[in-house]
Amino acid sequence: MRRWLIVLVACAAVAVGVPAAWLVTRPAANAGVPVASVGVPAAAASSTPPAAGGNGSLPTLTARPATPPSDASSPYPSRIRVPALGIDAAVEPVGVDARGFMAIPREVAQVGWYRFGPAPGDPAGAAVIAGHVDTRQQGAGALFPLRAVDVGDLISVTVPGRELRYRVVGKQTIVKQRLPVEELFARDGAPRIVLITCGGPFVPELASYRDNLVVVAAPVAGSQ
Amino acid sequence: MRSLRTFAVAGAVAVGLGLALAAPSQAAGTSEVSVLHGVPGLTVDVYANGNKLLNNFKPGSLTDPVALPQGTYDLKVFAAGKGPSGTPAIEAKGVKVPSGANITVVAHLDADGKPILTPYVNDTSTLAPGKARLTVRHDAAAPAVDVRAGGTPVFKGLTNPNEAKADVPAGTVKADVVLAGTSTVAIGPADLNLKEGTNTIVYAWGSATDKNLKVAVQTISGLHGNPGGVPSGTGGLVDDSLPLPLLALTLFAAGGALVAGRRVAIARRQ
Repeated sequence: MRRWLIVLVACAAVAVGVPAAWLVTRPAANAGVPVASVGVPAAAASSTPPAAGGNGSLPTLTARPATPPSDASSPYPSRIRVPALGIDAAVEPVGVDARGFMAIPREVAQVGWYRFGPAPGDPAGAAVIAGHVDTRQQGAGALFPLRAVDVGDLISVTVPGRELRYRVVGKQTIVKQRLPVEELFARDGAPRIVLITCGGPFVPELASYRDNLVVVAAPVAGSQ
Repeated sequence: MRSLRTFAVAGAVAVGLGLALAAPSQAAGTSEVSVLHGVPGLTVDVYANGNKLLNNFKPGSLTDPVALPQGTYDLKVFAAGKGPSGTPAIEAKGVKVPSGANITVVAHLDADGKPILTPYVNDTSTLAPGKARLTVRHDAAAPAVDVRAGGTPVFKGLTNPNEAKADVPAGTVKADVVLAGTSTVAIGPADLNLKEGTNTIVYAWGSATDKNLKVAVQTISGLHGNPGGVPSGTGGLVDDSLPLPLLALTLFAAGGALVAGRRVAIARRQ
């Protein structure tokens, strides 16, 4: 009987210990503040145009020549680094694909910056950078290690003439259908970087992951 | 979409017609109103309901938008320094401003060269991501025109005082205005940056016979939509489920514990 008792204890230890050890040692899926809450303006700070005065009096309007706005666009980011994870990738401007989803560079070593929104270094809003965590054809991508990022890790982004520095304030793994695009792609509110890749369980039938991994970082004071 | 003309003697004009879409940032009971001066050679003062709204308003100028309380307005345009009494250069009585619309009132020449006022409702509905809205308004004393982008007509047979619009991929186009059905260029060409998330409104104004046809541009921004998602992985290498070998080990161990447990129980009973 003693022999079987030993076997019982050993098997129970493995059956409980192995999954527990796996759970405890892998990087957390979420950390820090909820990603959709970062940088959102406090109250609905609307850009309401000046209202006409009360008691039936109307304001005097201001006018200017009706010419197209200047074409000045923000400088593009060219490189992003997360030293703690060994991430160092070229950045290219991207738009949307035919389905209206953010276009991701095909080459997994490259990441894309959403060019219709703010650029890193702009005074307001979320600069969104995304890349493949991996693809079937090419294997692991530039953002493959992103799951292991910690709150407080440094992110540096190269724009023409300078290096911008950010610190991670939150990461979250969110089911793709529930990705809060309004907040993550917001063009107003505090300036921030939003990094997005895939994560969570892999769904082989769809050849895609169930979740998005989202990391939000705020500018290091004095670095912009 | 037909624009709405107002006449000095006509009754109330309903501006809105179901295309007025409330911009969320508007104060209740108001509409955002801008005024464009498209009558060549006349610097003017503009009065609404007897109150001076604009001073020394020059041709080719656009006002910054203001929130006007909904209601009915009598608009009078005088040569600068004249008015508010006397005969205005242009008058529109009973212009109805609803709540929640975005409107541009344009002083311009009609097809016969007579100055009139036309209110237009601006489409501020949300755009699909990556898109821009192009609106063109014919406010010139000129015959029907085609509007071309990159040499290809985008809008055909546009007449005074009508408008045409389309949602297009954002980007810069080389735009010009030609006499309808011809390649005779009336205005342009010029590079037009159709910025993502904006409604770029192009006004053709002036007079063909006086050879002063020009283009004025109004831009309404903040209409962008967001991408539907971020598809960023097809490899399965960071799959978040318990890896298969570990799962097999766990199940095997659980099975072993079951077998061992039964043997222990049997041995105990003996």
